[in-house]
Amino acid sequence: MPDCHNGQAPERPTDDQDEIDPTQAPAVSSPPVRQLFSVPTPIKRIFDRFPLVIYPPNELPTRLAPHARCNRLFVFLDIAGARQRKPSFNPQCLRWQAYLKFVGIDFELVPSTNHASPSGALPYLLPAPSVESPLPIPAHKLQKWAIEQVHCEEEQQISVRFDVYASLLDHRIRNAWLYQLYLDNDNFNAVARRLYVNFATSSTIVRAALAIQLQQAARDELRKYSDYIDVNDLEAEAGNAFEALSILLGSATYFFDRGKPGFFDASVFAYTHLILEENMMWKHNRLGQLLRRHENLVQHRERILEDYFGNR
Amino acid sequence: MSSSLSSSDDDIFERLQKGPDKKVLEERQHAVNERVHAIYEKAQARLAELIDQNSTLPCTVSKIEILNASHTRTGFLERIFSPLLSAHRDKPYTLSEALQEVSARADGLSRFDIFHEPISIFLDKPSDSSALPTDINVYLSVKEKSRILLKTGTDLGNAEGSAYGNLLWRNIFGGAESLNLNASLGTRTRSAYQVAFETPILSDPDFRWEIGGIASSTQKTWASHEEVLKGGWTKLRWMNGSGHRHEVGYHGFWRQLTGLLEASPTVREDAGDSVKSSIFHTWINDRRDNPLLPSRGFYAKTQNELAGLGPLKGDVSFWKSELETQAAIPVPIPGIKGDSGVSFTTGFRAGLLYPLNLDARPRLQPSRINDRFVLGGPTDVRGFRLCGLGPHEGSDAVGGDVYAAGGANILMPLPRIGAGKPLRFQAFVNGGRLLALRNPQTGNNQEVKDAMLSTISELGRGLPSITAGVGLVYAHQVARFELNFSLPLVLRKGEEGRKGLQLGIGISFL
Repeated sequence: MPDCHNGQAPERPTDDQDEIDPTQAPAVSSPPVRQLFSVPTPIKRIFDRFPLVIYPPNELPTRLAPHARCNRLFVFLDIAGARQRKPSFNPQCLRWQAYLKFVGIDFELVPSTNHASPSGALPYLLPAPSVESPLPIPAHKLQKWAIEQVHCEEEQQISVRFDVYASLLDHRIRNAWLYQLYLDNDNFNAVARRLYVNFATSSTIVRAALAIQLQQAARDELRKYSDYIDVNDLEAEAGNAFEALSILLGSATYFFDRGKPGFFDASVFAYTHLILEENMMWKHNRLGQLLRRHENLVQHRERILEDYFGNR
Repeated sequence: MSSSLSSSDDDIFERLQKGPDKKVLEERQHAVNERVHAIYEKAQARLAELIDQNSTLPCTVSKIEILNASHTRTGFLERIFSPLLSAHRDKPYTLSEALQEVSARADGLSRFDIFHEPISIFLDKPSDSSALPTDINVYLSVKEKSRILLKTGTDLGNAEGSAYGNLLWRNIFGGAESLNLNASLGTRTRSAYQVAFETPILSDPDFRWEIGGIASSTQKTWASHEEVLKGGWTKLRWMNGSGHRHEVGYHGFWRQLTGLLEASPTVREDAGDSVKSSIFHTWINDRRDNPLLPSRGFYAKTQNELAGLGPLKGDVSFWKSELETQAAIPVPIPGIKGDSGVSFTTGFRAGLLYPLNLDARPRLQPSRINDRFVLGGPTDVRGFRLCGLGPHEGSDAVGGDVYAAGGANILMPLPRIGAGKPLRFQAFVNGGRLLALRNPQTGNNQEVKDAMLSTISELGRGLPSITAGVGLVYAHQVARFELNFSLPLVLRKGEEGRKGLQLGIGISFL
């Protein structure tokens, strides 16, 4: 009987004969054992007649909208925001959201959580189901995927300084951001709790537990860089980083003097937008004060917002 | 000559080494047994005669003393035994009534699991001069079980290996309260820590209250994720006179679906945190002669759960209902007197998960994977991989909202081994369907109801997914073992039937 009868989960009849238990398969399926237990051909032929009847598959349960026909980017965002294609409130997600828009890949936004991601962190992308079951693409493989899709250039090769400037964002600005969002208690209660914690569950006890976990994770992350957390130090470093970025951008429209925004612009925008965005409702916005000193960075953010996010 | 001598010498040694003839031994043992039995019977008869002669003797119980119960609270014991005292009764006893009552209470006492069995009962005439002539004193001699029991061990179950440690603290406050601490580490249940406190209410062994908490992390390989669970429960358990067991309680669980390396999109949709806050009721009526290898009788169990109600509303709201039945009848074989050991067993299970909108959310919340049913495996619908029935996305069993499953087995004793041993040959046919609720578009009540009705009617469309097979069943005291050879007859595409051998270990089979 042809293989197609075994459906989506291919099953080899010979395997089934020699294993006692489904989850103990690896131990017994080595070649010599298989030969020892292999079934004589006439009996195998009888076995292959089973199952006698095969019906079409059962319908799948769906919680969200029926599975879309287009690419879906899973990000931190509320449901209404996703429908209106608003920017995500998480810098990592917003970076990729912006980048995919820049290179012209169409996608739908789906609110999600870190637990859903194959890498344990959002965002990840589920490509349009051109094949039977597409594999999710975690953030670190997204650029490669995007380049394959639309054959855009890989900016990292444009400038040797790319990595140096990227590390400004990934360390100095990110660390100051982590402090401002998670460890400044007023901000945490007004911003992070509302966006990250309350979205996860409606239970007060679980929210409290998640909030503690979240703050602890931020603290642990900052302790990787220094033994104690010095606010002034973090803010000064971020100030320096903004200045360096401002000088790099100069009077150009986009970074590295390109005609259209690219990966680096997306990375900068992910932070500058969220720092300057009023809807974030910061209680203390020291990063905002530092950033506003550099008019070209503020304009860079507004330009992208208008051109790619439909002016809010 | 010499050779024949030596051979007869060997013979002697051989015979000496052999010891007495087996037959002689058996006869001797038989005679001893018979004699012991005769003595015992005589003693019994004498006692019965004595009691019988005096059974209508009026008596009053003036005092009940429980000896050696040093850790048990007096108040707790008083509640059990004080109703027996004649001072608290308006009717006098006859001797046989008094004996019956006392032994019934002593039985109850042994069910608290704080005393060693048997509990000895003594009657005595008070020597006190002020005592009435009808007065008797009752003495119960008990031996308390050790209050701390520590157990460690390893378990091998259905494709799962684990090591566990268990601490049982009995009779904590002298009222048969117990605290049970359990920790286990395993291959599928990665870790589980559980604590439960249980106490009888009003000194009634059939009426108990329990409160507990759990923190566990379980690998759910059939749907490529790990579920981290933290929560607690409280419940009342009681049993009425005719053997109906009930449980009513509350569950509050924080579930976290995580570790989705290669999960399908449907599983990913449900990843993350959710809180289930539910009240539940369980009813069990077990009238089988042997729960693990029934040859006659029936079993019925219903479970109902209502989640998302009240102040602790949680993230999910649904009504979940499950029914489980089993019936067994012995099959008489012409030519064999008495019980042939051949029996016919049927089982039926069904379940329903009905989404509710209890807090007026704009949209109704369809079910999550950790609330949905799964079906298939060596202990329910045999011949399927674990959770191999129902909707599958890729290799993930994503579960369903409605199911029905049934099976029929015939159990036969093996030749030469006989019906006395708990070993049987079985032939079975079983099947079932597990369906997801068709997603209602807007989720108003009428639409959900229609979707549910259409899903239920879908259960009967076409043949259910069926497998058949033969195997061996061994009923150990603690679990039933089955080794079956099965072939799938009817399947849905994506369902994972098994051709070949399957080992099942469990206490509840279809």
